[in-house]
Amino acid sequence: MNFQLTLALRYLNGRKLRALLTTLAIVFGVLVVFGMNTIIPAMMRSFQANVLAASGQVDASISLKTGDVFPVAELARVAAVPGVRASTGLLDRTVNLQPDYFDHDAAVPDSISALSLVGINPDEAHSVHSYNMVSGRFLDSADTNAAVISQSLADSIGLSLGSTLALPTAIGEQSLEIVGILPARAVPGNEEVFVTLSQAQSMFSMPEKINTIDVNFDSLDNARRSEIQSSIQTALGNEYQIGALASNSELLTNLQLGQTIFNVLGVMGLLMGGFIIFNTFRTVVAERRRDIGMLRALGASRKSIFYIILIEGLVQGIMGTALGMLAGYGFSVLVLKLMGPAMQKFLNVKIGMPEVSLAIILASIGLGVGITLLAGLIPAMSASRVTPLEALRPAVGKLNFRRLAGLGFWTGAAMIALAVATLVTRNAGLIGLGGMLFIIGLILVAPTLVSPIAALFGGLASLIFARQGTTHLAQGNLSRQPTRAAVTASATLIGLAILVTAASIITSASVGFERVLRKSLGSDYIFVPPSVALWGTNVGSSPDFARELRELNDVAVASTLRFAPAQVNDLPISLMGIDPDSYVQVSGLTFAEGDEATAYAALKTPRTMIISPVLATSTGAKVGDEVNVLTPNGVTRYRVVAIGGDYLNAKIATGYISHADITADFDRNEDVLIQLNLTPTADRASAESAIETVVGRYPQYRLISGQGYIDENMELFDVAFAAMYAVLIFLAVPSLIAMLNTLAIGVIERTREIGMLRAVGATRKQVRTMIVAEAIILAAIGTAFGLLAGLYLGYTTVETLHLAGYPMEYIFPASGVVVTIAAGLIFGVLAAIIPARQAARLDVVQALHYE
Amino acid sequence: MSVITTENLTKIYNSGTTAVTALDHVSFQVQPEEFVAVMGPSGCGKSTLLHLIGGLDHPSNGRVMINDESLADLDDDSLTKLRRRQIGFVFQFFNLIPVLSAVENAALPLMLDGMKQIEARDRAIEWLSRFDLADRLQNRPDQLSGGQQQRVAIARALVAEPALILADEPTGNLDTRASDEIAGLLRQVAKDWGRTVVMVTHDPRIAAYADRILFLKDGRIVDDTLLEAKNGSSYEAVTAKLKEIGD
Ligand SMILES: Nc1ncnc2c1ncn2[C@@H]1O[C@H](COP(=O)(O)OP(=O)(O)OP(=O)(O)O)[C@@H](O)[C@H]1O
Ligand SMILES: [Mg+2]
Repeated sequence: MNFQLTLALRYLNGRKLRALLTTLAIVFGVLVVFGMNTIIPAMMRSFQANVLAASGQVDASISLKTGDVFPVAELARVAAVPGVRASTGLLDRTVNLQPDYFDHDAAVPDSISALSLVGINPDEAHSVHSYNMVSGRFLDSADTNAAVISQSLADSIGLSLGSTLALPTAIGEQSLEIVGILPARAVPGNEEVFVTLSQAQSMFSMPEKINTIDVNFDSLDNARRSEIQSSIQTALGNEYQIGALASNSELLTNLQLGQTIFNVLGVMGLLMGGFIIFNTFRTVVAERRRDIGMLRALGASRKSIFYIILIEGLVQGIMGTALGMLAGYGFSVLVLKLMGPAMQKFLNVKIGMPEVSLAIILASIGLGVGITLLAGLIPAMSASRVTPLEALRPAVGKLNFRRLAGLGFWTGAAMIALAVATLVTRNAGLIGLGGMLFIIGLILVAPTLVSPIAALFGGLASLIFARQGTTHLAQGNLSRQPTRAAVTASATLIGLAILVTAASIITSASVGFERVLRKSLGSDYIFVPPSVALWGTNVGSSPDFARELRELNDVAVASTLRFAPAQVNDLPISLMGIDPDSYVQVSGLTFAEGDEATAYAALKTPRTMIISPVLATSTGAKVGDEVNVLTPNGVTRYRVVAIGGDYLNAKIATGYISHADITADFDRNEDVLIQLNLTPTADRASAESAIETVVGRYPQYRLISGQGYIDENMELFDVAFAAMYAVLIFLAVPSLIAMLNTLAIGVIERTREIGMLRAVGATRKQVRTMIVAEAIILAAIGTAFGLLAGLYLGYTTVETLHLAGYPMEYIFPASGVVVTIAAGLIFGVLAAIIPARQAARLDVVQALHYE
Repeated sequence: MSVITTENLTKIYNSGTTAVTALDHVSFQVQPEEFVAVMGPSGCGKSTLLHLIGGLDHPSNGRVMINDESLADLDDDSLTKLRRRQIGFVFQFFNLIPVLSAVENAALPLMLDGMKQIEARDRAIEWLSRFDLADRLQNRPDQLSGGQQQRVAIARALVAEPALILADEPTGNLDTRASDEIAGLLRQVAKDWGRTVVMVTHDPRIAAYADRILFLKDGRIVDDTLLEAKNGSSYEAVTAKLKEIGD
């Protein structure tokens, strides 16, 4: 033991630079894992807050069944319930206004006849809601007589930042200064005026009282959520009611998708970190096969060898892990600090500190120390199993390698074939598994392909460095040591593959959303009800409204959606009634099976239905099947003619039937959403004012332009996705540095060889070119393979999510690919510059003595 | 009792389609305290022979016995112990562990055998001093000359007091003077300290230090000559023999 320790420490000490770089690799590996997974909860929280806030919703909203006020003290009881991540108390009252309260003009009907005055606690509210300021600032707990209103309210009553809003209250008319403006309400209903809680309490003479507690949960898991909900109920008693986000709501599904993506990124961080460490340590130990062979020849037992490597790995693993966790925490704080102001400014979301859980500490230690040991032991064990002749005859190792490489190649090729085969099964689990197989397969295949690929890229490189005459040397170096080359290149491979995968997922999620959005809401105008997707709560309009619209001069088509709740095979669903002829002109479904041409035509046949992918998955129904639909008049059978969905209902089990059917079987002819297109020659301004006159009589609708609505939605998604990009950066930066590290180690290992080259007459310049050419060839191989793997993994992940019912469509991450290629090559060159200069400066004699 | 006995020792390397017979039914014995040189053209199987005797590799046929114990009967662990305690190796290149000092390198076999560090160091220093290296104890291999490195390697081969020293071209990359020094040392090892030495060499001058020369050609022993036991005086005899064999 004693001796093993000495030898291990000597190796660390005698190879300071190499030990430093190896430890650095561990630091980066742990940094990625630790940093990323401490930052993810914070990012997830901001994502969750943002998506919830975008729709003005919370996980649960608690009030007395009577709607009465209750003491603020109840808040503490809710906050104490396990699983409640954040809670805040509100005092929210409707203020009914006299006619002509604002404009004092009896001739013009007021658009605002009532307001919600909402008292909030500015400190707590941020943890549950998010307030995206357009201008001005949000409330501060020290404010008196200050208010924040929306842009739409400000416009309709002619107020701006700094002006005064007078409101009738229990203690007489009260003047409030507008200190901030929120975006126009995406969700109509009463416009809200936000004031501080104490202000509201005094305005209503209800000191220490609130009437609503808004709560966010710490979990998106449905079972866990209902558990939290019932704990709250138990804590408060039966006189309280809890309005929770329905488990099939669009929003929850959206959040769950977000969490899935974050989880995937977290796992990638884990893989990335593990691989960085494994790769580097494996390189270092593999270089020492010769020393190990000699020790064996002198009589060192396998156990001794085992312990030497073990101790060395342990020392480096512990040091690297400790440093990596520190650095990771620092990096998290830095990223959050950098993102913080932007988040605060645009979202008014406060991001907290990174969250360190015991699990992630243990995982980091396990990874840092465990992978290092593993990475050391596998080659050490194989080295000790090979005869001691290794020390005397390097050729033996090579012969073994050939055989092993052949085995690895065929195993890898088989894995890749298997992975591709899983695509055909269209089974989410199998495809996911295939993704892993694919990467491992690529790594196994790589060593065999290095020589031919090096020859190919070498040819290219020698064109670039034509006059140096050393590129063939570089290429030769790579072909001679295909494993080492493959190991180095696979650092690039994995790093870039993960980046491309992440880019694919994020692009697909955001572009996919947008594409579906455009298709669904591409009409010129949309008449939006108060609550999109919660159709049952909306007051619709009689067909007269749509008819009036159609009669207007410039209107080409107005198509309406109707709604009925129903059950299909005992599953509660939303039924949307569409008009097959006009719907396709203003909107459209995105089809998973079937197409526009046949599906809408088929819908004209009575009792036919297009079902959404979510419904198809949950019932197992296929095109051509008949399903049992529960109607107010009993069970009827509908035939499924296609599978497809629209943006608004993307995450809800939905069936689409014709207006004729929804009227006949469900007695519904109330329109809940109207989409309208103008004639191509129409004059927008005059058409719009004509439309507005009609809408004036149907105040339940808000008129928006389709493009405006899409923009509004995309903005929200963009901000939410910013959190994912931040996490992506977290993956990218350390892995690129790790790649640099691996290449640098590669050069150090060859100090002696380089000295030899210089001794036989290579100029400094030639040595430099050789190293750079080698790095570029390696980087090119790594980048090419990394792209391939990343595209494949991205595709399979998106497909898997898609099959799992998430509204995603695979989008080729074009800009991601360009960035990746650039990053791969730039870092290849960067990685080469420092070692190349070092190599060129080498003292020849010293280099020859270096072993 | 002989230290080394080989019986029909045969080694065939199969590399893909071609099979190379590196050793072809080699049988001989080496007696205690004998200093044997092995000579022959490049590729005739000298290193292979040494590796088989040292238990670093397994024969395709025939067997090796060290002190009447057949190596074929030993498992890897016993073979390792045998190497550690009974055999000392000296190679041409890469003899020393680069991160260890001279004294640590020399003490390696003792440390591997579990001896206390202080004791092992003392024994190593003792041997290094005999080889004029007392002032280079703390230097790492890259700070030593080639001859000094080989002397450290010989000290290491002797430190565990093995009965048998196997040296594969120990003077292969040394100049004449250093070579003579090493060869003289090996002779001293056999004559003064009673060890058995088998040394592979190309150099007739070095071979002349030995008691006996085995000539190998194409994997077979073509000559086995006893020399007069006198330093350097047998040089002419050796060159004559080489001519006769046609090397
Ligand atoms: N691992 C191997 N695989 C295939 N052939 C081998 C292997 N090792 C040695 N040989 C062959 O066996 C023969 C004997 O090799 P050996 O190294 O014993 O020769 P040598 O006499 O030591 O030569 P030199 O004087 O050049 O060191 C040679 O032809 C060599 O090519
Ligand atoms: Mg040889």
